[in-house]
Amino acid sequence: MRLDDARLRDLIVESQDLQADALRDTKTSLGTLRDIGASRRGQPIDLDRARRFNSDRRRLLRNGGYGMGALAARGMLATGIGAAVTAIVARPAGAQEDLDVSILQTAASLENLAVATYGAALSLPGFDANAVVVAFAETTMMQHDEHSGAFNAQAEALGGMAQNEPNPVLAPTVEAAKASLVGADGNADYAAIVELAAMLEEVAGDTYLANLTMLSDSESVSLMASVQGVEVQHLAVLRAVGALLAGGAPELIAIPTDVAALPAAAGSVAFPEPFEADDMARDAQEGAVQ
Amino acid sequence: MSTHTDDQLATEPTAQPTSAVANRRRFLFGGGALAAGAILAACGDDDDDEPATTTAAGGADDDGTTPTTAADGGGDASADQGIAMFAASLELLAVSTYQAALDAAGSGALGEVPDAVAEFVTTARDQHQAALDAWNDAIVSGGGAEVTEPPAELAATVNAQFAEVSDVTGAAELALLLEQTAGATYLDVIPQIQGEAARALAGSIYPIAQQHAAILLFVLGMYPVPDVFVQTTLSAAP
Repeated sequence: MRLDDARLRDLIVESQDLQADALRDTKTSLGTLRDIGASRRGQPIDLDRARRFNSDRRRLLRNGGYGMGALAARGMLATGIGAAVTAIVARPAGAQEDLDVSILQTAASLENLAVATYGAALSLPGFDANAVVVAFAETTMMQHDEHSGAFNAQAEALGGMAQNEPNPVLAPTVEAAKASLVGADGNADYAAIVELAAMLEEVAGDTYLANLTMLSDSESVSLMASVQGVEVQHLAVLRAVGALLAGGAPELIAIPTDVAALPAAAGSVAFPEPFEADDMARDAQEGAVQ
Repeated sequence: MSTHTDDQLATEPTAQPTSAVANRRRFLFGGGALAAGAILAACGDDDDDEPATTTAAGGADDDGTTPTTAADGGGDASADQGIAMFAASLELLAVSTYQAALDAAGSGALGEVPDAVAEFVTTARDQHQAALDAWNDAIVSGGGAEVTEPPAELAATVNAQFAEVSDVTGAAELALLLEQTAGATYLDVIPQIQGEAARALAGSIYPIAQQHAAILLFVLGMYPVPDVFVQTTLSAAP
């Protein structure tokens, strides 16, 4: 395996410096969110209720003739009906607010599971065979930990609790899969590890994609999309690494790599479709704090 | 290593277009997303008697207010239409740039082009074309006009930089800038999109730009996932 280790470390440090700015932006939004969260009531979560509410709200605005523009045009914004409609538009249902918290907690649970999985892989005998793979696992684990922290901070800002446990539905599956991560020679089986990690990254990315249209809080949408964009990159790298392993070219898992020696498929295997689907998305509430 | 000619690039078998169309249709008509015709039309123009506009600039509701919820499915159809048009123009710029890179490779202007790079450029071009088609379908179905021009200012910048490209590395660096710009732009506009289907479409295209960027970073000898959080610094959103 070839590796310009110093160069790789420099690149990672450089990227971490850049991230300080992004983290500051995230923290800035938390103050605003805490104010919002302080005013919100705890309510039993009812997804159907939240969806019915939003559906009814849309119907009211679109079909009932009481859209904000229509009300304004008719001089009714200052009337009782106008005030009532304004209140409905400006303030989502309590159930929807709690749904946001559940979504964030479930996202944190997926991140916690990823952290635990990469940690388990790093502890396997022989995992250090390829320094780039080790650096990727360490860096990705750190990134997932940061994501968990950000989701939890957002959940707390909205009045919820932090989720510090791994996803309870997927964790047993991952635990069972760990036995297959060691090959017959007793060393880490890179291909099996990559397959498991790719599954977790795709689940996370798909879940966050689905969440984009379920969240009501725009700051949470921004955070969700920001993290989604990183998980799909993890997935892309794992797909490429998996293909190189399957193709019998582990020596090309290097930074810098020998671009001329890469098989043609390396140029497309990381993104097999032009649109990401949410077909592996987890239920929004399955990782909520009970 | 091989040098691709125009003929090779034109005739290389690829399942991408078929896959792209099939997947786009699956997205548009399945999986809970609304049909193409509803992506922007369903964004909740308050006055059903008014046709959707095709102005590129976003804006507030016709009473001057801005909806405060993110994905309520209501919101401002004209603002979503403006975002869709800008997204389409960005995709168009990516398609034309990748096509220019393929043309340059075919003429030998970029020197030797590794197989993986040729495959990347072809795939990325096709995927951006699929994204462009999806946005234009939504725009036209919502009553707007198909986008046929890239964003002028950004296109001028890209074209000027492309004129300086003389090898694969230079082309990859320009492609990386384009993909990172696209990713940052989608991240920037996703929270602004009020219609659920339009937001879902943006959310399904954005990951692909991110993945393109990751592989380009790898090809250029850089760490492929440099950011803990994607940033909007490079956003080109108006």
